[in-house]
Amino acid sequence: MDLEALKQELATLHTKALQELEDVQDTKRLGEWRVTYLGKKSELTTLSKQMGQLDAQTRPLFGQLLNERRQALESAFTSKREAIESAEQNARLAAETIDVTLPGRHTDVGAVHPISRVIRDIEDIFLGMGFMIADGPEVETDRYNFEMLNLPKDHPARDMQDTFYITDELLMRTHTSPMQVRTMEQMHPHAPIKVIVPGRVYRRDEDDATHSHAFTQIEGLVVDQGIRMSDLKGVLEAFAKALFGEHQRVRLRPSYFPFTEPSAEVDLVCVHCQGRGCRVCKDTGWIEILGAGMVHPRVLDMAGYDSSIYSGFAFGMGPERIAMLKYGITDIRQLYQNDLRLLRQFAKV
Amino acid sequence: MKVSYQWLSEYVDLRDMSPEQLAEALTRGGLAVDGIASRNQGVEGVVVGLVRDMEQHPDADRLHVCQVDVGQDELLQIVCGAPNVAPGQKVPVALPGAKLPGDKQIKRAKLRGVTSNGMLCSAVEIGLDTRLLPQNQTVGLYILPEDTEIGADIVQVLHLDDYVLDIDLTPNRSDCLSIRGLAYEIAALTGKQTTFPTDIDVTLPNEPSPIRVRIESDRCTRYDALVLTDLQAVPSPLWMQMRLLSMGVRPIDVIVDVTNYVMLEWGQPLHAFDAGKIADSTIVVRQAKAEETLVTLDGTERRLDDDMLVIADPEKAIGLAGVMGGENSEIHSSTTRVVIESARFDAPSTRRTGQKLGLRSEAQQRFEKGIDPAVVRTALLRATQLLVQLAGGQISGGVATATTDAESALAQRVPFSPNRCRELLGCDISDDMMHELFRRLGFTVVEDSENWMVNVPTRRPDIALAADLVEEVARLYGYDNIPSTLPLGPVTIGNRDARQRILEQVRNMLVTRGLFEVRTYAFTSPEAYAPLQLAEGNRLRNMIPLAYPMSDERRVLRTHLLPSLAEVARYNLAHRVDGGAVFEFGRTYEADALPITQQPREREVVAMMWFGTLPDSLHERARPYDFYDAKGAVEQILDGFGIVVQYERAQEPWLHPGRSAAIVCDGQRIGFVGEIHPTTAAGYDLSTTLYAELDVAQLVKRHTTSLLVESLPRFPGARRDLALVVNKDVLVGKMLECIDELRSKREILRFASVFDVYEGKGIGEQQKSIALALSFGADERTLTDAEIDEAVQEVLQVLEAQFDAHLRG
Ligand SMILES: [Zn+2]
Repeated sequence: MDLEALKQELATLHTKALQELEDVQDTKRLGEWRVTYLGKKSELTTLSKQMGQLDAQTRPLFGQLLNERRQALESAFTSKREAIESAEQNARLAAETIDVTLPGRHTDVGAVHPISRVIRDIEDIFLGMGFMIADGPEVETDRYNFEMLNLPKDHPARDMQDTFYITDELLMRTHTSPMQVRTMEQMHPHAPIKVIVPGRVYRRDEDDATHSHAFTQIEGLVVDQGIRMSDLKGVLEAFAKALFGEHQRVRLRPSYFPFTEPSAEVDLVCVHCQGRGCRVCKDTGWIEILGAGMVHPRVLDMAGYDSSIYSGFAFGMGPERIAMLKYGITDIRQLYQNDLRLLRQFAKV
Repeated sequence: MKVSYQWLSEYVDLRDMSPEQLAEALTRGGLAVDGIASRNQGVEGVVVGLVRDMEQHPDADRLHVCQVDVGQDELLQIVCGAPNVAPGQKVPVALPGAKLPGDKQIKRAKLRGVTSNGMLCSAVEIGLDTRLLPQNQTVGLYILPEDTEIGADIVQVLHLDDYVLDIDLTPNRSDCLSIRGLAYEIAALTGKQTTFPTDIDVTLPNEPSPIRVRIESDRCTRYDALVLTDLQAVPSPLWMQMRLLSMGVRPIDVIVDVTNYVMLEWGQPLHAFDAGKIADSTIVVRQAKAEETLVTLDGTERRLDDDMLVIADPEKAIGLAGVMGGENSEIHSSTTRVVIESARFDAPSTRRTGQKLGLRSEAQQRFEKGIDPAVVRTALLRATQLLVQLAGGQISGGVATATTDAESALAQRVPFSPNRCRELLGCDISDDMMHELFRRLGFTVVEDSENWMVNVPTRRPDIALAADLVEEVARLYGYDNIPSTLPLGPVTIGNRDARQRILEQVRNMLVTRGLFEVRTYAFTSPEAYAPLQLAEGNRLRNMIPLAYPMSDERRVLRTHLLPSLAEVARYNLAHRVDGGAVFEFGRTYEADALPITQQPREREVVAMMWFGTLPDSLHERARPYDFYDAKGAVEQILDGFGIVVQYERAQEPWLHPGRSAAIVCDGQRIGFVGEIHPTTAAGYDLSTTLYAELDVAQLVKRHTTSLLVESLPRFPGARRDLALVVNKDVLVGKMLECIDELRSKREILRFASVFDVYEGKGIGEQQKSIALALSFGADERTLTDAEIDEAVQEVLQVLEAQFDAHLRG
């Protein structure tokens, strides 16, 4: 055998192998091709065995040539394998295509009750202003619900809150205000006191679209030396902006509560029309949202805080009313109906 | 209170203030005006006409053809169907082109062939409030007084161009329960002057009154009475009737109308007695006797008690002081001698009497809030003047009067510090400004450097303390002019306490598990608890009753949340909701014994309920909720707060005995979880329903907040799975507890869990197969198979010994 003849044979083999590889389309045929051209019994192997017949001088030359051809074929094989695998994967992926518009798998979440949601929002605002949150009994004594709040027996202002009595001395609290007194007694002589009190209250009102015999209130109380009515205005303004937006303003109107003096009804800019006037605000541009005032000196004195040294302000608001305004609920009874079709709408963050 | 704008404008100049502007000023001053109503409901072109002549309509029995003089050159022919029409009457006549309330337009028309040039009107047709008119003025034509000017516009005649302000008075402002009081208030708010007429022109005879007056109770500080004779109980003049109507008071006759008119004008309730009915011409103000009775003006017999104040003669009570007169001294058309009473009665006493008897008269509403003692005599004289003028009354003798010592102590002198006022308001109002504001209010100031003494007139009993004066200053200065500031003073930290944090966290856990928070009422009925099948003596039956419930369904305080949530479930299932899971943070009210004498325990629980089916979805089939849905929620909460509990079979009559557990921690029950007893569920119209509750106080008490991490294992652990066959009634929880106990001996045994329970084919009929996974590990080395096998053997031995458990073959 001479070198040229072997070289010729090698070139022919190489060409043939590449041609065949060209036609290979799947992994199985590729394997067969590999056995045929690169395996132990392949022609390439056979050729390499013939190398021994060459003289010592030309043997390395042919060896090198053989190696080059083998590497070239292996490289061609690798490329082909990658091409086939890629094609096969693409085909597989295409076959695996699903309908991505179908709904995902959920753990259905529930919802916080709209009133709790409002209470939580309001709590967060006042926590941010350094208030604590307190909680008190719903079955109250006449003393805390009325007398300690400057509402002695036979006071006409008791008509402002028609009361569910249990006995002559025990009743369902008509407001969260008794917690003003309980908090002051508990904190005495500590100052400042800054507290809000959310809770359920009860009044003998016939249930209708705007009245409920049971509803919630959030009471607020600040007592310290040097507390001013302007502070009440500022705190409520900060609260209104935090709850309803930076455009909010508060308007105080003189009013009367037996346990505050001066007293005020507090209006916010109508959240529906932003003050332009609408049905919700009866075209006034304002909506009444809470009652407030400077703590009555008699209330301070009865609770142990000398009214010539200390002063304070208090306010009370109704989460139901705020929830109705915020969420567009028009009948307060819906808040106590617990209809899941309504509550589901609150399954939002 | 309803208030006539025209009447007000007589006492304070309102020419530059429309009713709307006045309403705004009052509202911003603290007297909230709820509404403004025009007295004119849409009347235009209606004049006063005199029926000159009347003939029967030729073709209609019920119609008359009238010739009406409306002050024009010719009489108008008008067909009228009213039964009371008669010649000589003056009536409202709607001329052709006139407008009437309800957008009615009057046209010339033919009625059964006869031309009618307009319409004769009834009270309702011209928009008068017929509820307040005597019946004879509401049926048929509205007959006007004889002296009414023919042709005059009915709008002027009936003062329909007036406006009525509806003021929602706060109970402290008794001074504004009168036109004069409101005029003072408007003057103070606007800086205007009041324009009251100066004198009341009455000359009293210089001889003693024919009656005597005696006060025998400290609840009356002054009692004035005057006798008038020859009074004619005729209708009062139209202007007076209209003023009464505009303020919601029913005109009756001139005597009653005058007493009401003066009350509206001055705020002082008056009462008229028939002098002839007063025995011995003596009036005694005294406490009622126990069991004494009195028939009041409304014809009701009232049983009195000794807390009530009565007006009496020496023989009998003749009136409830300040609340309502007695029938036995009522004035009639035959009455000729009348006693007019003007007095001041104790406010709380009047209020109690009215409340006990369920009476709320105009007089009582004024007395219970406090009247102005300075006006008692004046109002009596004003009424006398009007009765002489309008009813032909003759005054008989002077004023019979009685007073007590308390009378003199009523004027208020209130110390006031302008500096403290500025401090409290956070507002720099000058001394001069404060002087001016007090002057507008009619308060006089005696200044002593920094401390002022403010004299408050008796018409303002609400001003008793410096704080009340601070409010007056702020109110008149304008709340809008107070700046916005934030409290000075030290910084405080606002944060939730443990209970509040736990409630928030539980709420979030349950919501993410798919539960909806609900809020139910605390009031319920014992009937709603019947499905719970509570035995006699069960403490859940100690429901605290309300003294005066509004309905039977809400007459006691709840002792359990299950009935509340069952109602939520029932409601939703009835409204085409397939099922759902709800929870509530609620209180139960627990009394040791009834009736309660002190505040009950208010126990806070988180109660949960699962009812109906989980919704069908693309990925999961619909299925009914079951016990393990409920228990999973309970476990999630308890695990989250690191509370270790046992589940013991519950004994409650309202729970399924085989599918419920009491949740026990350190020997104390902290809640329940289970399926509701089928009978209980049926009682609430429910099928399979799950309920769980946890005591919030227990969660707060037992939760652990410390969180210290364990180091991660450095050596691989091992897991061995065991399939064990046991009797069906063996509790897996007990087996796991038992393995747990072994851990103290076998340190390499880390934990055990159950991953399958199987009953059925291949397993004995009374048996079940339990698949347990045991985890092993050590901190400092890799375990050998031998030591793991040894531990597994020990587990098997213990389980066999205690539960007769065998490896599944
Ligand atoms: Zn609006």
